[in-house]
Amino acid sequence: MRQNKYLSPEHELFIKKERNRKIIILSTQIGILVVFLAVWELAAQLHWIDSFLMSCPSRIWNTLADLYSSGELFYHIWVSLYETLLGFAIGTVAGTAIAVLLWWSKFLRSVLEPYIVVLNSLPKIALGPLIIVCAGTGQKAIVTMAVLISVIVTIITMLGGFIETSPEKILLLEAMNANKFQIFTKLVFPANVSTLASCLKINVGMAWIGSIMGEYLVSKAGLGYLIVYGGQVFKMDLVMACTIVLCILAGGMYFLVALFEKYMVKWRD
Amino acid sequence: MTGILTLDNVCMTYYTKKSQTEAIKNLSFDVRQGEFISVLGPSGCGKTTLLSLISGTLKPTSGKILLNGNEITKTSTDIGYMLQRDHLFEWRTIYKNITLGLEIQKKLTPENVEHCERLIEEYGLKDFKNHYPMQLSGGMRQRVALIRTLALNPQVLLLDEPFSALDFQTRLHVCDDVYSIIKKEGITALLVTHDISEAISMSDRIAILTERPATLKRMHETNLQSIATPLARREAPTFSSQFERLWKEVSVNAAK
Repeated sequence: MRQNKYLSPEHELFIKKERNRKIIILSTQIGILVVFLAVWELAAQLHWIDSFLMSCPSRIWNTLADLYSSGELFYHIWVSLYETLLGFAIGTVAGTAIAVLLWWSKFLRSVLEPYIVVLNSLPKIALGPLIIVCAGTGQKAIVTMAVLISVIVTIITMLGGFIETSPEKILLLEAMNANKFQIFTKLVFPANVSTLASCLKINVGMAWIGSIMGEYLVSKAGLGYLIVYGGQVFKMDLVMACTIVLCILAGGMYFLVALFEKYMVKWRD
Repeated sequence: MTGILTLDNVCMTYYTKKSQTEAIKNLSFDVRQGEFISVLGPSGCGKTTLLSLISGTLKPTSGKILLNGNEITKTSTDIGYMLQRDHLFEWRTIYKNITLGLEIQKKLTPENVEHCERLIEEYGLKDFKNHYPMQLSGGMRQRVALIRTLALNPQVLLLDEPFSALDFQTRLHVCDDVYSIIKKEGITALLVTHDISEAISMSDRIAILTERPATLKRMHETNLQSIATPLARREAPTFSSQFERLWKEVSVNAAK
């Protein structure tokens, strides 16, 4: 039950093996990336592929360096990141709040269920024109898109988690005279911290979809704007460079969420 | 002897769109102060319904349930509830689990905290105070669940097959463990179970219920109070004859 401070030789061997396994996985992961980039570059240098159409790592690197030296890189990153983070935050908070409301009132839940189902299935891009009319053609429209895409998924995921809270545990609290608010704060919410964490992970992707899609529709800046622009003037280097920056940003955001999850459910160790 | 808990002609009927189900019909018995009583009946005879009624989470369709002469109309901390599984909150430490009830009641007064500390100390949980439930064995977790219930100072403790989730070996130990804690704290206990040997080994009296709608078939006296622990009672000379008799009574009900 309690951790033994002194490790047996077998235990040390086990830990060593585990560590080796992790090292092998990580080095293979890095290896794949390096080989992929090398083959890509080589194929371009040897003219197996047309680097004007397919781009290549060195051209992407140069494009990034140009963007950086002109000061544009961080400007566009910041624009997109701002929209995404705002959409992510509003979508998650509003979605969770609505889920709480729907958990609280069974009546509201029954009434709103078909609407949520329809909104969930609806491709939000179809609302694009409507969003432009309502929110204008600025960043507001883009954030609205990011919120719309993440909020419905949040409601459905969180509400699902809330409803599935063990009825016996609720009974236990009721027998202790707990009121509904206490049942929520002491049981239903803490029991769903891992639901919230997986919701956040989903929303990282959703918010990026929303902001980039929004930038495709209306924008004067941002990574999505650069990608559309690059596509229109056939600067594939720019498209690729922005895609790679997007990969790094989305990956970094996911990593932070995973870190948060680890911190929140530390009792699971 | 006066009854601390009295069931007076209790009836409970469930209604659904298509049908109504009589779960309990005209059930009456007394539970005496400090007594350990078991309710034994075939599966699905409404035993858990009975506990919900006594705990006040359900209201009887007719009849009365009295605690110290007062009718039970809502949940109260005078009645503690121990469920089939320990239902510890995984994200709280053992200490925080034990004080959960007090926290809900907003009664984290120095005296109450001290009472908790005493229970934790006395029943060997001190070393695990800051552990999380996942780090404890099944038997230990069930003990924590009991202490959590006792932290609220209940007069009557309801046990809903609290050992059924444990393997047989552990069950016998935990049975002894829980029994000795209950006796030491002088709490009146009502256990529902379908395990006949568990009922005989733990209780002073056994209320045998008929199948649904449950009503009292017979009140059985075990007369094993002179033997200290449930485990030792299983060795008592009258144990097997009692078992046989109860087994027949419960099965006759089920076969009908």
